[in-house]
Amino acid sequence: MALEFSPETWRRFEELVGRYPKKEAALIPVLSMAQKEFGHLRLQAMEYVAKIIELPAARVYSVVSFYTMLNMKPVGKYHIQVCRTLPCALMGAERMAARLKRKLGIQVGETTSDGNFTLTEVECLASCGTAPMMQVNEDYYENLTEAKVDDVLESLK
Amino acid sequence: MEKILLRNIDIQDSHTLQVYESRGGYRALRKALKEMTPERVTEEVKASGLRGRGGAGFPTGMKWSFVPKDSLKPKYLICNADESEPGTFKDRLLIEKDPHAMVEGVILASYAIQSHTAFIYIRGELAFGAKVLERAIAEAYQAGYLGKNISGSGYDLELILHRGAGAYICGEETGLLSSLEGGRGWPKVKPPFPATHGLFGCPTIVNNVETLAVVPWIIDQGAARYAAIGTEKSKGTKLFCVSGHIRNPGVYEVEMGYPFRQFLEEDCGGVPGGKKLKGVIPGGASMPVLRADEIEGVRMDYESMQAAGTLLGSGGVIVMDDSTCMVKTAWNIARFFAHESCGQCSPCREGCHWMEKIFARIDNGSGEKADLDLILNISGNIIGRTICPFGDAAAMPAAAFIKKYRDEFEEHIRQKRCVLT
Amino acid sequence: MDPVKLTIDGREVVTTKGKKVIQAAADAGIVIPYYCYHPKLSIAGNCRMCLVEIEKMPRLQIACNTDVSEGMVVLTQSPKVVEARKSVMEFLLVNHPLDCPICDQSGECWLQDYYMQHDLQGSRFEERKEHDRKREIFGPYVVFDGERCIKCTRCVRFLQEVTRTGELEVLNRGDHSTITRFPGRTLDNPLSVNVVDICPVGALTDRDFRFKVRVWYLKKTPSVCPGCSTGCNISVETYQNRIARFKPRVNEEVNSHWLCDEGRYCFHALTEVERLTSPLIRQEGGLVPTDWETALWAALTGLGKADPLAGVLSGRNTNEEAFLFGKVIAKLSAQPALEVFYQERELTETEKVLKSPDRSPNFQGARDMGVSTNGGFDLLLRELIEGKFRGAYIVGEDLVSLPGNGEKIRQALEKLSFLVVQDTELTSTAKLAHVVLPATNFAEKEGTYTNRKGRVQKLNAALVPPVGALHDWQIFARLLPDVGEKISSHTPAEIFQEISRQIPRYGGLSYATIGELGIQLSDETKQL
Ligand SMILES: Cc1cc2nc3c(=O)[nH]c(=O)nc-3n(C[C@H](O)[C@H](O)[C@H](O)COP(=O)(O)O)c2cc1C
Ligand code: SF4
Ligand code: SF4
Ligand code: SF4
Ligand code: FES
Ligand code: FES
Repeated sequence: MALEFSPETWRRFEELVGRYPKKEAALIPVLSMAQKEFGHLRLQAMEYVAKIIELPAARVYSVVSFYTMLNMKPVGKYHIQVCRTLPCALMGAERMAARLKRKLGIQVGETTSDGNFTLTEVECLASCGTAPMMQVNEDYYENLTEAKVDDVLESLK
Repeated sequence: MEKILLRNIDIQDSHTLQVYESRGGYRALRKALKEMTPERVTEEVKASGLRGRGGAGFPTGMKWSFVPKDSLKPKYLICNADESEPGTFKDRLLIEKDPHAMVEGVILASYAIQSHTAFIYIRGELAFGAKVLERAIAEAYQAGYLGKNISGSGYDLELILHRGAGAYICGEETGLLSSLEGGRGWPKVKPPFPATHGLFGCPTIVNNVETLAVVPWIIDQGAARYAAIGTEKSKGTKLFCVSGHIRNPGVYEVEMGYPFRQFLEEDCGGVPGGKKLKGVIPGGASMPVLRADEIEGVRMDYESMQAAGTLLGSGGVIVMDDSTCMVKTAWNIARFFAHESCGQCSPCREGCHWMEKIFARIDNGSGEKADLDLILNISGNIIGRTICPFGDAAAMPAAAFIKKYRDEFEEHIRQKRCVLT
Repeated sequence: MDPVKLTIDGREVVTTKGKKVIQAAADAGIVIPYYCYHPKLSIAGNCRMCLVEIEKMPRLQIACNTDVSEGMVVLTQSPKVVEARKSVMEFLLVNHPLDCPICDQSGECWLQDYYMQHDLQGSRFEERKEHDRKREIFGPYVVFDGERCIKCTRCVRFLQEVTRTGELEVLNRGDHSTITRFPGRTLDNPLSVNVVDICPVGALTDRDFRFKVRVWYLKKTPSVCPGCSTGCNISVETYQNRIARFKPRVNEEVNSHWLCDEGRYCFHALTEVERLTSPLIRQEGGLVPTDWETALWAALTGLGKADPLAGVLSGRNTNEEAFLFGKVIAKLSAQPALEVFYQERELTETEKVLKSPDRSPNFQGARDMGVSTNGGFDLLLRELIEGKFRGAYIVGEDLVSLPGNGEKIRQALEKLSFLVVQDTELTSTAKLAHVVLPATNFAEKEGTYTNRKGRVQKLNAALVPPVGALHDWQIFARLLPDVGEKISSHTPAEIFQEISRQIPRYGGLSYATIGELGIQLSDETKQL
């Protein structure tokens, strides 16, 4: 079945595109919209975006591959992104990642078999003063300790 | 010291228009639109001595004056809210706690360069910040500070909040432009420069959040008051973000020229847990590290930092105590840059990964002594030979770690393991 | 244009404002090595190979993006520059498999060339190399080897800026960057193979040419593409008397740096055929071999009695051939109907970048030579089908195999009282003939084509024709005395001299003045 935006998303798409000096400037926000709507950016989703924004499909594919927040593969219901960059690393990021791996029973880059959790390591999220930290979907969890990691996981289950 | 940038952030609901206005917000805008020509605004900012807070420290007013006045093309003002430099989290604070200050700054700067379309490019991960900004922008539209005929002045401005999607290089201003054009965040070759050929080939000014957020204060209080703060060449105050092994991490507003050691030891409470300072990166991960013995006499301004062999950068101060393995630290930074290199130009694309692989090898105990000179050589072959300053940003810290902690690296190589554990 | 004087490597160079240092140097014969720069594409500045030292600038600058300025002092060979170049080469080879012995590009790879020139020692890179896709089929003609790619983005920019089809893009970032299509799509636009020509290394190769022959064994003959009347300049590259490939020759007045795919591979159909090596004559039971004298005499007497007579010349015949053909037919018929083959088709937007709507590279020249007396080829064909003619002399075109009304043409030709067909192979049309004369193809002969825009360009013989076949111009030259026309020219060059004397539009031209890049006729292009 061909992918398509819902009427509501389509309305937002048109409004968004209309604000930019050129249609293609809206590509990244539109891809984010598509990702929200379709779950992840599989090939048909990229082709659809290419069509509505009038760009070659290869360009869209290329752009998606450049940005870490655009996913071509499915991610779990909770996308746990633990920061690994220096300030967080100095404050114990590695231990947090180890805790998450053990608790979830997966490696970095994997998704739990129930599809609930995907674990990723990411670079500095501008929260270094409250390191170590992680982001779950859009929410920040800061000043982590192993106990706090456990609590967060518990609250998500 | 009078707080300028952080003047509002501890107030309840500081992010709302009501609170912002109650504290004198948008007074500068009304004044500028009523009493000042665009050129006057630029002149005022020039006179304040304000320099860009995004890392390079370029004089802001001068940058604005590069925009051709007679251009028939549209002009764009872009607020760089991509804050991704490791160790930097000041813009996020401003965005979340005082969004109207940056919105007002955006409007003032747009007016100064006579732009009618402005963008705030916010890094995609800052979902909460985007929500706060979205609301602030809506409030500003509603109050007539944005849109058509702002405050009855006849000046129009559209402000678009644009969210990125995860790529450090989009903080580099031309990488940002490519991204905003709907592309990969590939920096552009210069010349031409954005002020004449920026977004879609049109004159464009890119300024950091902190830079723009201070503009309303300058216009409101006058350039002279701002210029009275700081040192001869580094005016005003600057935000510093302190992280790592420090008792009181956080964002501090500091008068330019403040003694670095005093700042770390007194303002930030020093290194906790009875440990000693081993090194500090003063301006975000892309700046050369200073050894503990090198910070004596260093002041927190552009010139003094440069004299000490490093740079003020974004103001991301990363503190390392004496339990820190410098091999692992250097590798962590090298890995960051290898991960974030956009891959466009050969020295950076290949060199960053090459260095990362060698650091990783040294870290896991299979390094050789010759590797250290090899890294220095690779670093030297990147610096100054790339499309954008990312190359330098990746190469400089790598070289600095080896030069400044060479004994530790050699010992690590000899013992094939970390010498601190 | 404002002149600008600068010094490059101690030599004073005068150039014009707006030029880049790399161009100014090249014009002065000073070679600055480069990969990503291409004069017809936007500036990417990504390879960093062209770094040079410019006085008063603390950092090395890329010559491909530095505008010349008055008094500028440029060093392209200083120790700093040489060292930087070496290091760029080293970076480019970090993830390269160094498999030159099995690489198809070997011999024309810029990486290999510069590597040799810069005398690089063994690699200092001891880490694991990143692997990339090997031998991925990008399209019908193009194959990609990711490990050899240096990410210069020439291919990407070509497809964005010239064809505007955008099939290739860079995927991923950092040292995982690679070139990709959208999964499942192919690189199949009508100009696709140009990416092979502009790829400076062996990352994009021509599936049609791959491993046919090592490039250093190729013999290269400058010539003109016989595919259409654009008249793209080509190098016909041959090995053991076979065409291995066409390569574009740069001619900014015609094809710039490009060729279309159809033209590039048209030599297969035009040259790889079962050749006629003896004239044939119709006897009871069919066509049988005969000698030239018998065949030519039979052709003449047969055609002489078959008025009204139609003469059809191939659009691939040269001006020299058209000139003689006109004279032959004029002698055979009082009111000859004479046309050069010409049919148009719809072109896509991408095709329009280069292609002309016909497949008659020399229709313009043939018409200039007088091979157009009947109101155009379409009319002649219609009249042929309507049975207006009794005889026909068809050169180099298989009319029966034309799409559309091939069958009607067959019936018309079968009704003719006499048909002569001159071609390289026994085509369906030739099979209907009373006399078949074995001829040669575009690659075997010398002569000139005049393209659609009135540019006269030179064809050169790249192949030796088979024994038994004659060039079309030789056949006409042998017929002329028998119809009573004296002829004193015995080579294409001499025939062209005759043309320049008799056809005003070609007055004063000679093979020498045409040169390798051709010459534009001075008057307006004739209306089609
Ligand atoms: C690799 C790299 C990353 C950068 N990241 C940022 C950033 O996240 N935010 C920012 O404001 N400037 C960043 N910059 C600096 C910008 O290129 C640009 O100089 C700045 O936005 C200009 O604003 P300013 O004049 O107000 O400082 C970065 C530069 C480089 C080379
Ligand atoms: S220096 Fe690095 S980040 Fe900048 S353009 Fe080159 S490859 Fe990209
Ligand atoms: S395939 Fe060839 S032309 Fe394309 S980027 Fe790679 S090296 Fe350059
Ligand atoms: S455009 Fe015409 S002349 Fe040029 S390569 Fe194609 S077929 Fe040949
Ligand atoms: S290093 Fe983790 S948020 Fe900055
Ligand atoms: S040719 Fe100048 S950078 Fe590639």
